[in-house]
Amino acid sequence: MAAYGGWAGKVLRVDLSTGRTRTEGTIERYRDVMGGTGLGYRVLWDEVPAGTRPYDAANKVIFGVGPLAGTGAPCNGRTSITTLWPTCWPTPLVGTGHMGGQFAAELKYAGYDALVIEGKADRPVWLSIVDERVEIQDARELWGQGIRRTTVEISQLLGADSAVAAIGQAGENLVPLSVVMTGYSHSAGGVGSVLGAKNLKAVGVRGTGRLRIAGSKEDWERLVKLHLSLLGANNQHVVPDSPQPWAEYYDPGSRWKAAPGRQWGAASVPIDTGSCDPKDLNRIAYRTNNAVHYLGSIAWKYTVRGNGCSGCPIRCHTMIRVPAAAAKYGIPEMGQNTCGGLNFGRSFFKDFPDGPRGQIAVEACMVGMHLADDFGLWCNYSQLQRDFKKLYYDGTMRQKVGADEFKRYAWDKYEKGDPSFLFDLLPRLARREGELGTAMGLGTGQLLERWGLSEAEWKKDHELQYWKLGHPKHHSNEDAGQCGVILNTQYNRDAQCHSHANFTRNGLPLAVQKRIAAEVWGSPDAVDAVQAFTPMNAAKARMTKWSLLRKELHDSMSLCNWMGPWVASPLKERGYRGDDSIESLLYSLVTGDTKSREELDLVAERIFLLHRALTIRDMGSKEMRARHDTIPDWVFEDRTGKPAFSKGTIRMDRKDIDTAMDLFYGEMAWDTATGAPTRAAYARAGLSDVAQTLGEKGLLP
Amino acid sequence: MNAGEMDRKTRERLIDLAVAWDGSLTRRQFLYAGGLSVVGLSALGPWLAAEAAPPVLVLPQAKGLVLADPTKCVGCRRCELACTEFNDGKAAPTMARIKVARNLNFGPRGAALGRDGQGTWGNGLVIQEVCRQCADAACASACPVQAIGAKAPANARVVDKEKCIGCRTCVSACPFRMMAFDDEGGRATKCTLCDGKPKCVEACPAASLRYVAWRELSRSSLPRSHRVERRDA
Repeated sequence: MAAYGGWAGKVLRVDLSTGRTRTEGTIERYRDVMGGTGLGYRVLWDEVPAGTRPYDAANKVIFGVGPLAGTGAPCNGRTSITTLWPTCWPTPLVGTGHMGGQFAAELKYAGYDALVIEGKADRPVWLSIVDERVEIQDARELWGQGIRRTTVEISQLLGADSAVAAIGQAGENLVPLSVVMTGYSHSAGGVGSVLGAKNLKAVGVRGTGRLRIAGSKEDWERLVKLHLSLLGANNQHVVPDSPQPWAEYYDPGSRWKAAPGRQWGAASVPIDTGSCDPKDLNRIAYRTNNAVHYLGSIAWKYTVRGNGCSGCPIRCHTMIRVPAAAAKYGIPEMGQNTCGGLNFGRSFFKDFPDGPRGQIAVEACMVGMHLADDFGLWCNYSQLQRDFKKLYYDGTMRQKVGADEFKRYAWDKYEKGDPSFLFDLLPRLARREGELGTAMGLGTGQLLERWGLSEAEWKKDHELQYWKLGHPKHHSNEDAGQCGVILNTQYNRDAQCHSHANFTRNGLPLAVQKRIAAEVWGSPDAVDAVQAFTPMNAAKARMTKWSLLRKELHDSMSLCNWMGPWVASPLKERGYRGDDSIESLLYSLVTGDTKSREELDLVAERIFLLHRALTIRDMGSKEMRARHDTIPDWVFEDRTGKPAFSKGTIRMDRKDIDTAMDLFYGEMAWDTATGAPTRAAYARAGLSDVAQTLGEKGLLP
Repeated sequence: MNAGEMDRKTRERLIDLAVAWDGSLTRRQFLYAGGLSVVGLSALGPWLAAEAAPPVLVLPQAKGLVLADPTKCVGCRRCELACTEFNDGKAAPTMARIKVARNLNFGPRGAALGRDGQGTWGNGLVIQEVCRQCADAACASACPVQAIGAKAPANARVVDKEKCIGCRTCVSACPFRMMAFDDEGGRATKCTLCDGKPKCVEACPAASLRYVAWRELSRSSLPRSHRVERRDA
């Protein structure tokens, strides 16, 4: 084991039923699945039998990171948390959430590549990990407290520089839409109630160890600098959103917001973000401002600074200070988020008294973040907000909630865009209070079932952006046509894949994107202009497979798929090329286990095949194409009636998408009739044991 | 008694003392004689301490230092990682010679203040702590084997690994808690200014660190409370 760098070397297992803790060797057992999600899928496949429910003691929760976590490889700060997903409906299936902050690095410094939580405690507990000393602590005093109080108290015990991941009241009360959260506001959605069911309030980690870089320090420094030079802003947007002296191109949709005159206005001394020439690696942190991206330019004056994960220069987690909101609503002045949390100011209220991008929107966002992040509520990638708005305005809510209860809510506040309405609503969701509070916390699938509503209606409604299995789309056809559609069919929650969108939305002109696409996926036809899509082709299928595998690779080696891959860069002198082998270079140099890009892609394929196998096993069906890889009707419609492949629409064509699925399954070497991987596909990835098990159950094509 | 025997005895006694005194050792508790440090006065008798003059250890003035601007720090810790990865070949923030992690979440006063302090949980301000390259370096003065001296070209106060006996006296002596310790090598370590091209400065993505001509900062800095943070010790 000592031969490898990067990995800490141990997986920590904690059985809450028995109180027993033990470790096992990461390399010996899990090197072929890398870490992170790969390790999580493997544990679920090996140890959690089909038919297990998310809240059963037999379900396991795997906090997994990979060999790059805790190193200086840029963008390595996300922890993958894998378990049976409580909002996956109608059958709970495997899913993964991700949280940023310092937890991933701290777990590594404590000596662990993963933490596997097993069983169920007989009383509320929290887990204390200080290097090799692991203790299950009584959490009865913390139970019922919010995430903020819990984190502060544990930090006082473990040390101010520990990393704490905690659930709030929502997770305790088994609200399916609940999170586990670390570092004030970095959350992994969906996992909170699974930990709540195990009576596990929090995990506190403090590590004082070290991670070896296997390659020479000089080579490592050169490689890290190369990687830094390829970074854009958040989501790998490689051009700024406004003309800059150094920039050949700009795109108003870019998250690269820095410009002279745009200031972090609430910094202790305001800072001008400047023009941020990409060659100046000492200004990467000023490029991104996601508060401005989501809330509009009003957010500049409230910006304190960029925050984010350990080791990441991007700082996508913008910190804002809004004293007016604090004074008005009695909440803290400070708030932080990257995307979804900001949506209480964007997609929950129909309108605000001062319009959609004004002061009240900022205040709504502040109130929403404060409550949701302390109670530990999850928005299901903003599906909660969209569902709520629809159900209220179409009258369903009034009909389903008893009249007495309905009257308890100040609906005039909701309609007027008064953020104080959130004080009425969100605590009730966390406490499962009343019919409304209970139903809205269930997640879309269980909500529809409880209220006898038709999922088919949700699948028709373009505004709802609902996809399947209780979850919405995540970078689908609106960003990458057929590639986005296919990727959204593959997962059991919102897809969370950014590989494709980080390229198609990078801001480069189509001609440049096509030139790079030809080099990476063999044809310029792999990409289209957004909203001017063309029919499916083989290069798009290659790009889709590549997108899927890179996401799994990133989630397993600890690179942020909200930033990578890096096939494009902001560097004109490189022809805006990035480096498609950067993952392989980082992995090989950190671990000393030299693997080419193609070899790593095979590891990623192995990892996703485990996800696929788990899905097939737990659905008890190999008919994935018909039963799992489904596409909502709204994808095939346009609100103005524009035909597919015309300019200005994201509408897809059903026949073309059938072709797309054929080509994708073919690219994956899966069976096109069922969409299930073949025995040969499993064997090629070294998963003959998995194929054997599925074969015995009649689940191979 | 040969030098080797002296070193072993010195080391044993000093390690005992460092443990017993729980971080309260200062350079006033040492005398220098004939090029060898001998045990601190407290061990010989506290009455001697009052009479003892502080040892004089004259080092050439450092040429530069790292100047940190907390109002620009974004808390990414890339400086800590650059320090140990590019100098030592390992990611080991606890032995970084620039210290951010200990102030990152709650600020220098720790978690006791909850949200009313600094850092990510407080007002957002993250204080990066750096070596002042003191003119009168407490670490160097405290070292019982004179393992800390000025090293050209930057004249940073640097630990000589060959001489260091791993007693951690310097770790306790630095009023700013800026010494680090390499557990693997069993030796103290500190900021070397990377021979005038500090890796941390190069690594900062927010330009919050600068390498500037040396100036006296140690007298205007408040000592860091030992109570707050012991992780780096």
